Amino acid sequence: MSCSNLTMLVSSKPSLSDASNLSFRSVLNPFQLPSQNSPSCSLSRSSVTPVQCGLRELRTRIESVKNTQKITEAMKLVAAAKVRRAQEAVVNGRPFSETLVEVLYNINEQLQTEDIDVPLTKVRPVKKVALVVCTGDRGLCGGFNNNIIKKAEARIAELKDLGLDYTIISVGKKGNSYFLRRPYIPVDRFLEGGSLPTAKEAQAIADDAFSLFISEEVDKVELLYTKFVSLVKSDPVIHTLLPLSPKGEICDINGNCVDAADDEFFRLTTKEGKLTVERDAVRTKTEDYSAILEFEQDPVQILDALLPLYLNSQVLRALQESLASELAARMSAMSSATDNAVELKKNLSIVYNRERQAKITGEILEIVAGANALQ
Amino acid sequence: MTLNLCVLTPNRIVWDSEVKEIILSTNSGQIGVLPNHAPIATAVDIGILRIRLNDQWVTMALMGGFARIGNNKITILVNDAEKSSDIDPEEAKQTLEIAEANLS
Repeated sequence: MSCSNLTMLVSSKPSLSDASNLSFRSVLNPFQLPSQNSPSCSLSRSSVTPVQCGLRELRTRIESVKNTQKITEAMKLVAAAKVRRAQEAVVNGRPFSETLVEVLYNINEQLQTEDIDVPLTKVRPVKKVALVVCTGDRGLCGGFNNNIIKKAEARIAELKDLGLDYTIISVGKKGNSYFLRRPYIPVDRFLEGGSLPTAKEAQAIADDAFSLFISEEVDKVELLYTKFVSLVKSDPVIHTLLPLSPKGEICDINGNCVDAADDEFFRLTTKEGKLTVERDAVRTKTEDYSAILEFEQDPVQILDALLPLYLNSQVLRALQESLASELAARMSAMSSATDNAVELKKNLSIVYNRERQAKITGEILEIVAGANALQ
Repeated sequence: MTLNLCVLTPNRIVWDSEVKEIILSTNSGQIGVLPNHAPIATAVDIGILRIRLNDQWVTMALMGGFARIGNNKITILVNDAEKSSDIDPEEAKQTLEIAEANLS
């Protein structure tokens, strides 16, 4: 079996409206039937990656690209379904945080005159900082884990410049493996996140941060997670977890404080037929509560009970946001992978068909030449 | 006149319906709450919450938190809560043994 050598140039995005774009040059030398059995042809696209082919190999390649496409498509849909679940988890957690914020506001109003001393709100001169880094467990999510880790490294460099000591609490398999490979970065604890962050995991992280802060081993605890902005954009942010502000404000390292009553949550919707996720900002109503609310124990004890709850809910929110960003990143990464697979399959099919046609033409030519020779 | 009880944890609502009476363990002892209780705010210790619905008592384990009792509306915010019907005694016993071994 032999086939003639074909060289073709096909532009990677042939648009039917612009026929001149489609440059097609085929060099067919009918009487040059190479004696050596090397059916090799190359397809150079504008990205110049020659595809070595034989009919059978091409067929296997097309099959494997088809399977890959199925897998990436499925992964995208799974990620979309998980975003919905993550969304429900956030919605389920709202009554808790709303009530907590209301109560916190109330107690602060009533305690404004008194001098309260709660260990969790004590601001100390900072000598050592603990950094809680929330990464994902699995890969195939685009630049998600990388962004967080880069931000963590940048923060570590900043802290080193300021002459501050630091320690890391790493959450998530990807972050864990990164820091394990770098023993020069002091890590306090490695924690695994589950597929859906629950209060138990948030509690483990909060307990660790709590004990480090209370025992005065660290003077500040910062939480590093990815804030979900939109399906294609997510921001790694750093929030100060401890010391807490008694009003329950959420502050980031630059000192920008957001009121605890302002909350944002995301929801999965469709826009123009495509799945997308959007943010909604909601503000909790803080009514003036009846001033006759009596405290069963003294205010310090009540705040002592409230602030760990608040810590817990903050950590849980961060974990949920991180999860949502990871899922959104995975959705968009898998969607572009599917598109690439479709394009690759199309190009491979074109090459396969031309190869097949060239082979048929060659055989016909052989027969014709043989018939002519007999005459 | 019935009390409306809400038990909330950070990731779900454990209980949200009307009850007749509850017994709550706080840092300063156990308190019983009947309808038209005076409004108070209290810290909740790790302990058992007993709920009475029509002469039947339901128990729930609470992992500490906060409770606010208002106009016949009780809101309990806890880190975790488990209904006694959801707890498996064998598993709990094993967990207890493991925890005691870890302590010593």
